[in-house]
Amino acid sequence: MSKDEMTPAERGAAIAQGKDADRLPCNPNIANGVARIYGCKISEFNHDPKAIAKSQMAAYERFGSDSLRVFTDLFTWAEAMGAKVNFPDDDTADLEEPAIHDVNEIDKLRPADPHKDGRLPVHLEAMKYLKEYSAGIMGCSAGVVGPFTNTFFLCGVDQTLKLTHKNPDAIRRLCEISLETCEAYVEAAMEIGLAPTISEPMSSCTVVSPKVFRELSLPYLKELVDFIHAHGFNPVVHICGQTNRIWKDVADLGIAGWSIDNVASITECKRLVGDTTKIMGNVDPGSIMFSGTPQDVRLKTLEAMREGYDNPSGYVVMSGCSLPVETPFENIDAMMDVVREVGYPVTEEKIDELLAKYRDAE
Amino acid sequence: MSTKEELLKELSDCVLDMEDEDAAGIAQRYLDAGYDAYDGIFSGLVDGMNRAAALYEQEEYFVPELLICSDAMYNGLDVLRPHVDRSKMKQKCKVAIGVVQGDTHDIGKNLVKIMLEASGYEMVDLGRDVPNEKFVEAVTAQGAKAIALSTLMSTSMVNMGEIVKKLEAQGVRDEVKVIVGGGPISRGFADRIGADGYSTTAVEAVSLLDGMMGYSA
Repeated sequence: MSKDEMTPAERGAAIAQGKDADRLPCNPNIANGVARIYGCKISEFNHDPKAIAKSQMAAYERFGSDSLRVFTDLFTWAEAMGAKVNFPDDDTADLEEPAIHDVNEIDKLRPADPHKDGRLPVHLEAMKYLKEYSAGIMGCSAGVVGPFTNTFFLCGVDQTLKLTHKNPDAIRRLCEISLETCEAYVEAAMEIGLAPTISEPMSSCTVVSPKVFRELSLPYLKELVDFIHAHGFNPVVHICGQTNRIWKDVADLGIAGWSIDNVASITECKRLVGDTTKIMGNVDPGSIMFSGTPQDVRLKTLEAMREGYDNPSGYVVMSGCSLPVETPFENIDAMMDVVREVGYPVTEEKIDELLAKYRDAE
Repeated sequence: MSTKEELLKELSDCVLDMEDEDAAGIAQRYLDAGYDAYDGIFSGLVDGMNRAAALYEQEEYFVPELLICSDAMYNGLDVLRPHVDRSKMKQKCKVAIGVVQGDTHDIGKNLVKIMLEASGYEMVDLGRDVPNEKFVEAVTAQGAKAIALSTLMSTSMVNMGEIVKKLEAQGVRDEVKVIVGGGPISRGFADRIGADGYSTTAVEAVSLLDGMMGYSA
């Protein structure tokens, strides 16, 4: 039984048209935790496209969350290009060995064929099921890593970090070939009717400098975004960790939304890029969503909403990053329910009233 | 002929400036000139690493820069260490560090290791995806006085609590300090599992451990 008056599609359309809605959209960003809701092992996602699609739907049905996305881990594209991935029985896949160990092997790499290589065909199949199951409820998205991040899994994380200084041209070549893989994949996803979302964690200011980002990541991210635009879609971009010094660069690509992590400030982001860009975020996925109490979740969600609700280009309540697999359901419920309690339109008074109410309850 | 001060500055600068390929050569020139290896490490290489850490905290240096600086530091250490007068060594205690079982994300662990090493701890790097027993063995067999546990995965966090329990079961819990860190880790979690400390950054980990081990100024 839905706790909401509108479907995510109706809600999204109403807000975009400036009409009344039931609440703000909210995406707890459940990630592979959806397996816990559907009742399968995470390893089933590696070969069973229906399990991916049905788990996404199970999460929507359980929580009413405003997102359905096909995305299981960061390594799917590098794996399809030759990296070795470790698949635990019931946990998220992990990079075991990069595709190459030395830059002189770069010429051996080929872009992946999304219809043939690795788990990419499983993901495309999952998209078709998800599209079918979710008809009339909401649009679905297809996650992809950005070209720069993919190069780390082709060439090894530590080595690639050092190459940003030692051999930037090698990074450029790895980005070129990763870009081809990304484009082929998102093209297939868009043909099925899913909107791409791009995760670019290695571009974070927590990892590389804004200078390295601008020289070695941004040009390829721009090409990918332009490619998606040319196909009539507009991607959301998520980058983990601190991103304040690159908000403008990414916003200038004309993206559908900037999904920021909990160490980044919604208020600052709003000031800098809010006129052009929807902001999504940024409740702490670890210390609040995973380790906190429902009470902590309510307060932090309200605080994020207070910062973001008046963003000129729109705001989506979200966790700062993908939720840990074992995040308690009651915390996800607490996030969704407090967004429902605020309702729509959101006003500062309403949020402050609820903040006072829940603070008093402490 | 360079003075000792000039060579110490060269050692420090080559770490700070990421000249990892020059470090061993400068360290050798320093030794050849007859200067003290211990000073070369702490007033030269480690000084450079501390300056790099300061730039990292000011967000002028990032992870790649720190990794290359640490390569330079380690290249210099390889040359100077065998020549250190042991009686003069004021090394801090032995610390075992690793990413707990079920997880292989080790960027954070490596940064903590570099910072602790630069501050004078003797580091035993157990690597990543480390079975719980290995941490206990580091205490019982290798004499580690502190263990530093890292993970990015919520599914692996349970191992941190298990390690603390194993230390208790072996009767060595009181002989060792346990510090934890990583994406999903919080102070609350550290308290719940009975760890001694938690820090959010690699640089903080140094003052955290210094405080616990009694090395604070």
